[in-house]
Amino acid sequence: MTESSLPPQQNPPVRRRRAAPSGPVAFVWESVLMGWRWLARMRTALYLLAALAILSIVATAVPQEPNVPSTVASWREGEAGPGVGVSRVLDAVGAYDVYGSAIFLAVLLALYISLTACLIPRIKAWIRLVRRSQPPVVRHLGAQDERTVFVTDRSPAEVRASAAELLSRRRWRVRRHDAHADDPRPDQVAAETGLWAREGGSLVFHLSFYVLLAAIVLGQLLTFEGQRGVVEGDPGFRDTAVSYWSYSPGRWFGEGDHQGWRLELERFHVDWVRDPLAPGAGQPTVFRSDVRVTPQDGEPFDAVIDSNRPLNLDGTRITQLDWGYAPRVVVEVDGEVVHDTFLTPVLTDGGFFRGAVKAPAADPDVGMDVFFYAFAPDGEDGRPVPTGAPWADAPLLVFQLFRGDLRLGATQQTINELDVEELTSQGFGALRLGQSLELEGVTVSFPELRRWVGFQVSSRPQLPYLLAGSVLLIVGLLGSLYASRRRLWVVTMEEAAAAPRTLVTVAGRAFQRPEAFEEEFADLVAELMAATDGAPADPHPTTELPTALPAAETTR
Amino acid sequence: MGSDQLAELSRLLYFPTTLMLYLGASIVYLYALTTTVGRTDQRERGRLARRLGGILAVLGITAHVAHEIVRGLAQDRLPLGNMFEVTSLMALVGVSVGLIHLQFVRRRPELNGFVLLGGALVLGMGMLMYAEPGPLMPILDTWWRTFHVSLLVGGMGVFAAAFVFNALYLLRDTGELAVAAERSRAGGGSTVGAAYVGDVSDGAATAADPETAGTSSGPAGEDDELDPDEERDRAELLAYHRALRRGVPPVKLALGTFLGTSLVSWVWLTTADTWSAGLGRFLAVNLTMVAAALVARWFVPFLPATATMDGLAHRTTAFAFVLWTIGTIAGAMWAEVSWGRFWGWDPKETGAFLTWIAYAGYLHARATRGVKGRGAAWIGVAAFIVLMGTYLIANYVIVGLHSYADL
Repeated sequence: MTESSLPPQQNPPVRRRRAAPSGPVAFVWESVLMGWRWLARMRTALYLLAALAILSIVATAVPQEPNVPSTVASWREGEAGPGVGVSRVLDAVGAYDVYGSAIFLAVLLALYISLTACLIPRIKAWIRLVRRSQPPVVRHLGAQDERTVFVTDRSPAEVRASAAELLSRRRWRVRRHDAHADDPRPDQVAAETGLWAREGGSLVFHLSFYVLLAAIVLGQLLTFEGQRGVVEGDPGFRDTAVSYWSYSPGRWFGEGDHQGWRLELERFHVDWVRDPLAPGAGQPTVFRSDVRVTPQDGEPFDAVIDSNRPLNLDGTRITQLDWGYAPRVVVEVDGEVVHDTFLTPVLTDGGFFRGAVKAPAADPDVGMDVFFYAFAPDGEDGRPVPTGAPWADAPLLVFQLFRGDLRLGATQQTINELDVEELTSQGFGALRLGQSLELEGVTVSFPELRRWVGFQVSSRPQLPYLLAGSVLLIVGLLGSLYASRRRLWVVTMEEAAAAPRTLVTVAGRAFQRPEAFEEEFADLVAELMAATDGAPADPHPTTELPTALPAAETTR
Repeated sequence: MGSDQLAELSRLLYFPTTLMLYLGASIVYLYALTTTVGRTDQRERGRLARRLGGILAVLGITAHVAHEIVRGLAQDRLPLGNMFEVTSLMALVGVSVGLIHLQFVRRRPELNGFVLLGGALVLGMGMLMYAEPGPLMPILDTWWRTFHVSLLVGGMGVFAAAFVFNALYLLRDTGELAVAAERSRAGGGSTVGAAYVGDVSDGAATAADPETAGTSSGPAGEDDELDPDEERDRAELLAYHRALRRGVPPVKLALGTFLGTSLVSWVWLTTADTWSAGLGRFLAVNLTMVAAALVARWFVPFLPATATMDGLAHRTTAFAFVLWTIGTIAGAMWAEVSWGRFWGWDPKETGAFLTWIAYAGYLHARATRGVKGRGAAWIGVAAFIVLMGTYLIANYVIVGLHSYADL
């Protein structure tokens, strides 16, 4: 028993504290507790969000290796960007791959721990609220936000029954209270709404981030993405691990997960606004592929892939990624054909397409750096004038011929890049469609022009989960911002003057958005009056209203 | 009518028609705001001015809608394809939603002038990005675009309205804090009752602040009988007004606005064709914002209570945040359909993400006890800078899949 007149040190502690650990264990334990409490603070969450924002700014300002590896390479070599020294620093802190860097993962982890630390007590409190709470019964209707009085001929019990029915129909939680000897609180129906929905919505919103995270992690494991260029009329390619130009499967995506269909490009449609004076000159107007798909064991069928209409094959999505002209280049050395394929040069910033010919069959190797101009009409002096226009009305193939060692297999090179380290230039040439040219014993001809399309093939089994997470996020957000907590009381009093008359006081309180509650309240009162044949009360009532006492005292 | 004539008509409807109507309505409304305090004859004039402002605003919105329709007809597609069109629609959404919200939901028509002023500023900014009507890239030609872009543009417009409220809140709050500090110094250094401004004139403070007069008494200025003390009250009221205005240091405000705007407007400096053209645009944007800030400073005494503007900023931000969230998710879904990946940290995607984080920070700050009020309002202002900055940078500076600025 605590005696308040004694000095505190003479009183025994009210509750004995648990024996605290000591030594290094205590230090570690205290630190963990401190860290947890620090993470659970809202302010910390705001700092972490700001850190995430700063990291994504860095990722926008600095080229990212997964997106533009060539730009990153030129930054590293000092050909572009701030220089080699700065580049080393950037590399050391992982700025070239922010979203895969340790800092980013650490911030993300801290954010999720912080979220968890915030949510655990909130979820506990919310469950307690849902299980235990009920609308408070009021003793005096003091200063509430809204209050109205009306009279009716119905008995008080009838009025309370209609009020309870009306409110439960509108999904309010209702509690009836009948006065008795021990309880001086008046007869009333107490009701509450929005108590779970607001906090519950906020919880759903925050919990949806776990769903999104799980879906993204699952995606990293199960997803598959590959790119492959296909020339019009070519045999196309089969969906197997080896046939893609670039191939990035998730960790759990096996070779057996490929579906093995074959895709051929029958025709690619592309056109532009060709009038240089028309609005939007040079803009593409059509961008469509007619393809033929042969499933592994089934009949071939035709399909169309449009800009916003990808092809769906049992959960695998095929989209058009890029396109280019595919000139057929035939190279003969001493009467022997060493190269006869369609090139797939890619569009550059200069408005021309750039590709490469690699013919290791010749001895020494033949290499060609190829520049393709789609529209290069002859000028007044008879020489072709290259323009940046993309339509192939006057195609021109310009090339630089090399002999030597292509170093295939020795260095990393894409099909459109030439490694000129061990090659020597043999001069330049230019060809119109159908022409051929002999240069240093090598005959190059350009007999045919087609187009090629780069397709992206992707399989993302996580999409439904991501969508579910997004829906949860939106639903939770709407609940947390727009569910409003309100309380309402309907207090009935038998009026002494005229026996069957009942005096009904309706009062309400809005915890959020009081301006919207005005109308809701008026609606409710009107409906209740209609249900009980009520009439507006005498503005100067003879009996004392239950509002006469000033304090708003509510008890549970 | 040929499409050339239609294009010309749509341009004329945009400038000067809509811009001038918005500006005119804004000026008339702001004048009406100054008459909420004072004698009966002035109030009558204020009522007339409000009516005129309403007519001008409705005409302006009509002209703006007509501009969008005519432009749509001229190019035979929805006008949501390039930066000019997006900015113009952002202003339209901001002005209409802001006015409807203030007029009919919150019943605070005295603030209409500021929303219209904000709309006129956004329209003016749109003229820096003017593009002739033209066709659309095929990849943009889908209902996904309509859905995704309209949600985000709507969100931007409402965020702009929220920014206006946040800025006004900060101005008024700064003024009130300065007055309170002055009083506490005058009152012998006691901070008790420092925020009490009624000792200049109870009636005057009430008339200036409809909120403190109690929400039940309806719009301010109903009881405008001249009583013998009115002359003295008026003088004291004017003194209070001057004190409020003095509380917001003009040089600091101008400098702060200039620097704050520079955080966004440097984009024009670096991306214009010539140095001088870039400097011209940069200065035009910055000086317009400084002028707007100084005009707003002059109106500080006539603003409603800080709590009203704080509440308005919160409600509008919450609404815009919902639009932004749904719009960004819709964008990710479109990217999955169109490019075969739902999120690729493209500059514009990063921008949308940054903006989302910034406004999430604002909403969390509002929900946290310690950061309420000025702290939250500053986060709101910073979030708007992030929004405008990422919008301009992703379109002009860093070229990504989303850059349609020149089309």
